[in-house]
Amino acid sequence: MSEKEKGHPPDEDLVRGALAGDEGAFRDLMERYKRRAYGVARGIVGDPDEAQDVVQDAFVKAYYRLKDFRFGSNFYTWFYRLLVNQAIDRWRKVSRSPTVPFDDAWISGETSDPEAMVYPKTPEELAENRQLSEGLTRAIAALPEYHRTVILLREVEGLAYEEIAGILDCSVGTVMSRLHYARAKLKGALKGFREG
Amino acid sequence: MDCTKTREMIHDHIDGRLPPDAAGAVRGHLGACRPCAAEEEELRRVGDMLRLWSAVQVGEREVGLSPLWTRVRAGIEERREPGLARLLRRWFWVPAAAAVAVVALLFYPSNGTRAPFHPKSFDVTVESLESDTATVALVDKGEGLPRVIWIIENGKT
Repeated sequence: MSEKEKGHPPDEDLVRGALAGDEGAFRDLMERYKRRAYGVARGIVGDPDEAQDVVQDAFVKAYYRLKDFRFGSNFYTWFYRLLVNQAIDRWRKVSRSPTVPFDDAWISGETSDPEAMVYPKTPEELAENRQLSEGLTRAIAALPEYHRTVILLREVEGLAYEEIAGILDCSVGTVMSRLHYARAKLKGALKGFREG
Repeated sequence: MDCTKTREMIHDHIDGRLPPDAAGAVRGHLGACRPCAAEEEELRRVGDMLRLWSAVQVGEREVGLSPLWTRVRAGIEERREPGLARLLRRWFWVPAAAAVAVVALLFYPSNGTRAPFHPKSFDVTVESLESDTATVALVDKGEGLPRVIWIIENGKT
């Protein structure tokens, strides 16, 4: 259901309002996207506090660049471009090493019986399963930054390949190869997981 | 359709990017091939787990995200500050540095010789005044006792 169908003004109306000086309209945009933005930033940056700073900075930047928004395009893809660039820049500044070593110890590997694996079905179940939750965090952090960005935008945000390519300013083919690589890596990490 | 072809198309199948006939062919193979079906299931699970993981992270940060507008607004206001005020704030240290430099020139002896304005002794009087200007001056009262006058602008040295 779209925002309009839910009785909420569409993004473009809020952008128009913000451009006309209505601060409340911009606030509504921020409230609409702050959680999703945080989810993306958290995955890219890794640290919760840094991720929140990234979201904050991205919205401040968006406020001043709103005049560059092209009506007819999606606000969230325009905003994600700012957000992702901000997050990758921040990650490069705060990370002491370019990549986190992949945690092979977490992957107990090929001996697991797929039938015996029990995966959580809800966020609450995952939150209770600290081993899997923390293992996922490490596995995501171990991916190169552009690979984890692509897989988060695809799997969590549900963006189309073309939208991701536009956000990252790369080709659809590059998006595909990064996505396939990231999926394969995370699949390998999950394959070893067995509850209990 | 064989396993190799299916594996090549499996990501596009998961992402719904295949045309109907190709999607049908992949589905047909997956229904008959357990290893390929398992591969597809594991790849789909990556997406499922990432969505749950992200929901957990956002949920754990809910309290921190509630007052985000206050912080964003503060950031907007900070950038809205007039350019001149920002420039002045950025360069406020110049008069302070100039004052320090002048004092150093006055009193710092180099190679056993005295600096041009060094008094014969340290028997000097330093006065503090306030002014709208940012000038630092040395005033000789003509009584053999030089006096250093600091002029401080807006309480900043």
